[in-house]
Amino acid sequence: MTLEICHLYGNLMNTYGDNGNLLMLQYAAKSQNVKVNTTLVSLGDDFNADKYDIVFFGGGQDYEQSLVSKDIQTKKNELLKYIENDGVVIGICGGYQLLGHYYINASGQYLNGIGAIDFYSDSKSSTRLIGDITTYNQRFDITLYGYENHAGRTYLGKSVTPLGEIKEGYGNNGEDKTEGCMYKNTFCSYFHGPILVRNQALTKVIIDLALANMNRRQKYINA
Amino acid sequence: MNLKTKIARLAGRSSKYLLHRFTTGGSSLPGKLALAIDPNILTSLSKDYRTIIITGTNGKTVTTGLTVNILKQHYNHVLTNPTGANMQQGIVSTFLSDNKDTGSEEKFAVLEVDEASVKHITKYISPEIILVTNIFRDQMDRYGEIYTTYNLILEGVKKSPDTILMMNGDAPIFSTPDVPNERRYFGFQNNDKKTDILAHYNTDGIICPQCENILHYHMITYSNLGDFFCPHCGFSRPALSYTLTSIDELTTESSLFTIDGEQYNLQVAGQYNIYNALAAFSIAQYLDVPSKLIKTGVHSAKRIFGRQESLYINGNDVRINLIKNPVGFNQIIELIKLETEPYILITILNDRHADGQDISWIWDGNFEDIAADTLNRGAYVSGIRMQDLQTRMKVAGFNEEQLFSIKEPRDVLSLIRNSPAKKVYVLATYTGMLDLRKEMVEQGILKERMNI
Repeated sequence: MTLEICHLYGNLMNTYGDNGNLLMLQYAAKSQNVKVNTTLVSLGDDFNADKYDIVFFGGGQDYEQSLVSKDIQTKKNELLKYIENDGVVIGICGGYQLLGHYYINASGQYLNGIGAIDFYSDSKSSTRLIGDITTYNQRFDITLYGYENHAGRTYLGKSVTPLGEIKEGYGNNGEDKTEGCMYKNTFCSYFHGPILVRNQALTKVIIDLALANMNRRQKYINA
Repeated sequence: MNLKTKIARLAGRSSKYLLHRFTTGGSSLPGKLALAIDPNILTSLSKDYRTIIITGTNGKTVTTGLTVNILKQHYNHVLTNPTGANMQQGIVSTFLSDNKDTGSEEKFAVLEVDEASVKHITKYISPEIILVTNIFRDQMDRYGEIYTTYNLILEGVKKSPDTILMMNGDAPIFSTPDVPNERRYFGFQNNDKKTDILAHYNTDGIICPQCENILHYHMITYSNLGDFFCPHCGFSRPALSYTLTSIDELTTESSLFTIDGEQYNLQVAGQYNIYNALAAFSIAQYLDVPSKLIKTGVHSAKRIFGRQESLYINGNDVRINLIKNPVGFNQIIELIKLETEPYILITILNDRHADGQDISWIWDGNFEDIAADTLNRGAYVSGIRMQDLQTRMKVAGFNEEQLFSIKEPRDVLSLIRNSPAKKVYVLATYTGMLDLRKEMVEQGILKERMNI
């Protein structure tokens, strides 16, 4: 059986070692003797919700992110379907921001998200939130370690769970002690460093969820 | 020259003398002092020089060194700044240090300038040429995005509209035409217009400047550099003024290549250094250096310190390379791939300020390419972040039984002495290299201190 990974806009959203998350997912799956196939889905490509077990969506530079914001609208319905059907998504930084309602970047440009999860982001303050960060995730009882460096501030809707509560560092906005978000099997974060390298416990949780989806998908194909 | 400038010049020069006399070397202090007295001092200091500025993410130092070496074959008076002194103060210090009186002949100043400092220099100097080597992702705690860096450089370029802007034509980012300056491009020739390939997915700067789709290539040299074209709108690489005809031989020691029918022998290895040589060639040709002398200048260039240093330690052939960002790192990986003898690989990663505090770029480095190299007799990691390196290399597919960590520089040095293979590759971030060199000095292997 093959674990199908979608590297969403991987040739545009790939800053600051985010690629390490993808490499770690591939490595973790292979360590369990699972074959891995990675597909790059980018500008003008179709995203098929039934095809993948994990979607990895990394951070990017402002310019690339603005192009992705336009193109992702063409994939919006399939992505929403994938997320609602418990598909596993990892969204980092710019990828995270585009899963919400919108993001206003440092030059005041309004970027549409796909509104899969109830949050928005802006960058009203010119100071970047930089430094080491530690958070705690209650659902899986894991402490998460990372490095953050972002101008964007994210504000979660009332019913949205953060990925972690801040122990040290700034997190989503430097105010409300939240970092990232979690919705069904979608995990978002500002952590670089990369998050799935430094936090093996989280990687294990994610791989287990993805393998369960892979088995489910395979049964469906065979049925 | 007005009185203020005279005083500034004197203060700078005497402090330089005192520093040299009572400390171990020069610094940017003379420049700082002179600037404090006369902020416009660069204008008067540089007025008798034909100035060339070299900037960009990678290759500044090598290109500057090569250019200086070539120009010296034809002109007597060529001033340049030491590596590291590439901001305003350092450049003022450089001009202050030029005491040589060569009468009325032509004087050149070939300056390596930090990307963000170009505009501080062109405020006072109108250079004849500004050459930009390339722009790649650097450490994220520097200027961040490549477009930000490019705009910083362009701000400086626009202050001097008569300056010729020379750029790498193989880099798509340099195709945007919004400057008043005359532009000239250098690049690699390619006649095969049928090949249609994409850059590696983990590459930045691959967007068509005209229609914002993903660029394709007929030929890629490395990273995002090559003969690019856009299948959507027909945009393509600009016409080249200076063209590399062919690469004739690449070894771990040197390269042979042809420009305009003339073959050049460069004693610095790596394809990326051929770009640096082509850049230096472009400047030299523009400044009317005869091609025979360009050849001599290229050929006689020594390895420029730190980039590729070769040492013999206890009979072992040790190659030391500085690493600071993924594109530069990947070029060194390309070099190791040319290796024909057994070797060991030592990688040293620190995260102090001078190294870049965010080390996540190691995940953008192509460790995978040499993970299964059968000539590798052992991979060793060291430095403050050696654990991160070990994980990175494990994931890349290095054999865990041949992957070791060594904490102390002293132990790294004894490994080098007693290496299981004669060839030793050391890849180190800046302070990692300093730590190792310090140990070498203490053990009498090296005499000189690093000039910073």
